[in-house]
Amino acid sequence: MSLPIVIADDSLLARKVLTKALPQDWDVDVSYASNGREALALYREGKASVMFLDLTMPDLTGYQVLEALQHEDLNTFVIVVSADVQPMAQARVRSLGAIAFIAKPVSPEAVLPILKEYGLYV
Amino acid sequence: MSEPVLNEDRRDALQEVANLAMGQAATRLGRLLDAFIELSVPRVQVVEISKAAAALREMTGIQEAVSAVRQGFRSDIKGEALVICRSGSMEQLCGLVNDPYPRSAYEQVSQEELIFDVANVLTGACVSCILEQLGRTPVFSAPGLLGESMSLDDVFQPGVLAWEVALLVEVNFALEDQSFRAHLVMLMAEESIRHMNDALDALLSSL
Amino acid sequence: MNVPPASLSDLVVERVGFGIFVLDREMNVLMWNRFMQDHSGLSADQVVGKSIFASFPELPRVWLTRKLESVFQLGSFAFSSWEQRPYLFKFDHDRPITGGVDFMQQDCTFMPLTREREVVAVCVTISDVTHVSIVQREREEAVAKLQEYADRDGLTGIANRRFFEARLRDEYTRWQRYGGEMSVLLFDLDHFKKINDQFGHGVGDTVLREMAQRVAQVVRVQDTFGRFGGEEFALLLPCTPLADAMLVAEKIRNTIGDVPVDVQGVSVPVTASVGGAAARVGVPNYDVLINEADAALYSAKRQGRNRSVAFI
Repeated sequence: MSLPIVIADDSLLARKVLTKALPQDWDVDVSYASNGREALALYREGKASVMFLDLTMPDLTGYQVLEALQHEDLNTFVIVVSADVQPMAQARVRSLGAIAFIAKPVSPEAVLPILKEYGLYV
Repeated sequence: MSEPVLNEDRRDALQEVANLAMGQAATRLGRLLDAFIELSVPRVQVVEISKAAAALREMTGIQEAVSAVRQGFRSDIKGEALVICRSGSMEQLCGLVNDPYPRSAYEQVSQEELIFDVANVLTGACVSCILEQLGRTPVFSAPGLLGESMSLDDVFQPGVLAWEVALLVEVNFALEDQSFRAHLVMLMAEESIRHMNDALDALLSSL
Repeated sequence: MNVPPASLSDLVVERVGFGIFVLDREMNVLMWNRFMQDHSGLSADQVVGKSIFASFPELPRVWLTRKLESVFQLGSFAFSSWEQRPYLFKFDHDRPITGGVDFMQQDCTFMPLTREREVVAVCVTISDVTHVSIVQREREEAVAKLQEYADRDGLTGIANRRFFEARLRDEYTRWQRYGGEMSVLLFDLDHFKKINDQFGHGVGDTVLREMAQRVAQVVRVQDTFGRFGGEEFALLLPCTPLADAMLVAEKIRNTIGDVPVDVQGVSVPVTASVGGAAARVGVPNYDVLINEADAALYSAKRQGRNRSVAFI
């Protein structure tokens, strides 16, 4: 069965760039969200075993999504993908339960090691 | 010639490009001020010059007097970058600059030089990053003070900008405690907007 | 003759009319053009390969290092304008008129030179903007002078009515807010019209000027002395009660009347009448204060002139 993953970003360009950076032979079922609310909805539908999450989104930011997920038992691997690369931003998302932080623009070289480390892609 | 149009795909792409550039600029500014910088969602708009001041007021939410520093950038995509903040807040910001140097008694650094340094960090980082993502390497001119206490209308005096239409890209950076906010506005004229559109189309089709 | 492009740019860099030099991260000079050589007296051979501070120990070391570091670290341009820092290098300028400037005024640009996204060196350009700075300074001086004249009476050089009234308004507002004392004296030259008729307006003008000078010498620093009208003058005395103001009135009257004014060998006797009034509760605005001083002045005239009268 394919791994359900969610890509949450308000920018079409960013969603495309990230999709392209994922391993092409990864057996996944991708759903897209363009804001935080949609991302949470997809999570609740069980479509997010892995969630790639942008921070600056309208209608619930990435931070707010992380906080909500914590209250709902955080049953997903959240990888934050963001342009905000300040050290404090990275520390914050980790403390909110994200497993990793990738700086934009995303490259395959940045994504692969994380997927491998958590056994999400072999 | 028809007016250059920024369709939805291009606007989205430019917004994302600006978002990345902001991240870079924020990291540098944060390092300079030893503070966490809150980033805004970039706003992109094509406006007639006569409506530019109103658009800027709406984008920034500023009604009162502002300080503005301008800096020109040049490649085939060229324009002006303005760093705008409420009058008087630039000085507060300079007080926060976490660099022992400006406080050195031996070599004096003027307030104006500090203001230019901060504006230069923002402009240099943001504009370079945006244009580099579009395959350009810009050259910058020296920053200049437009005014210390002027109204947004004066920033766009008719006749000063010989353009009819301008592309406005607005991003802003705020200190976490909201005590300071700086707006960076990039302004480009028709010819540059055309080049910008071509560059954005190229970026989108490369995916 | 075909000049290969590479050496063409070398020629250009060498001969161009502004300074170009390149530094590495350790502040060693990698390149030094002709402009720099001509103005510093040090050739490329003498300077290249060494720290710039070894050749120019008087450069602002901390400032320059910091400026360079910011370019290496951030990969962006940096600038210095003559308005913040008049010059980086102490070079002579070549303007025939010095315009109050001893050394070449300079604008500097610090450009990152990158290879594979890393800044490997910084190119510094020095532009001679002495002419710009001179014009700008002259303009600023002219504006300042104009500003001064706008507040001064053309003939006597003391404050004009506009300025005096502005000062009076400010002082009055302060008195209303904080209380204390405040007085105004109005005085004019007795029979001035006769002086003009008898000796001519030229002499009349000289008398006014001389008189203004004498009075200016006896007023205090905190007082405002201004020309109110043709031969009418006013003195604003902040923090001064009426009694003290009247003592000043007498001093003025004497300084004008004791010694005749000498105009080209002609001795012109002059006297003045003075009226004084002080701000007090019940005086609603500064106009009323002037009117009261004026009424007192009129009283002085009626009582025979050459005297001081206070409004009570």
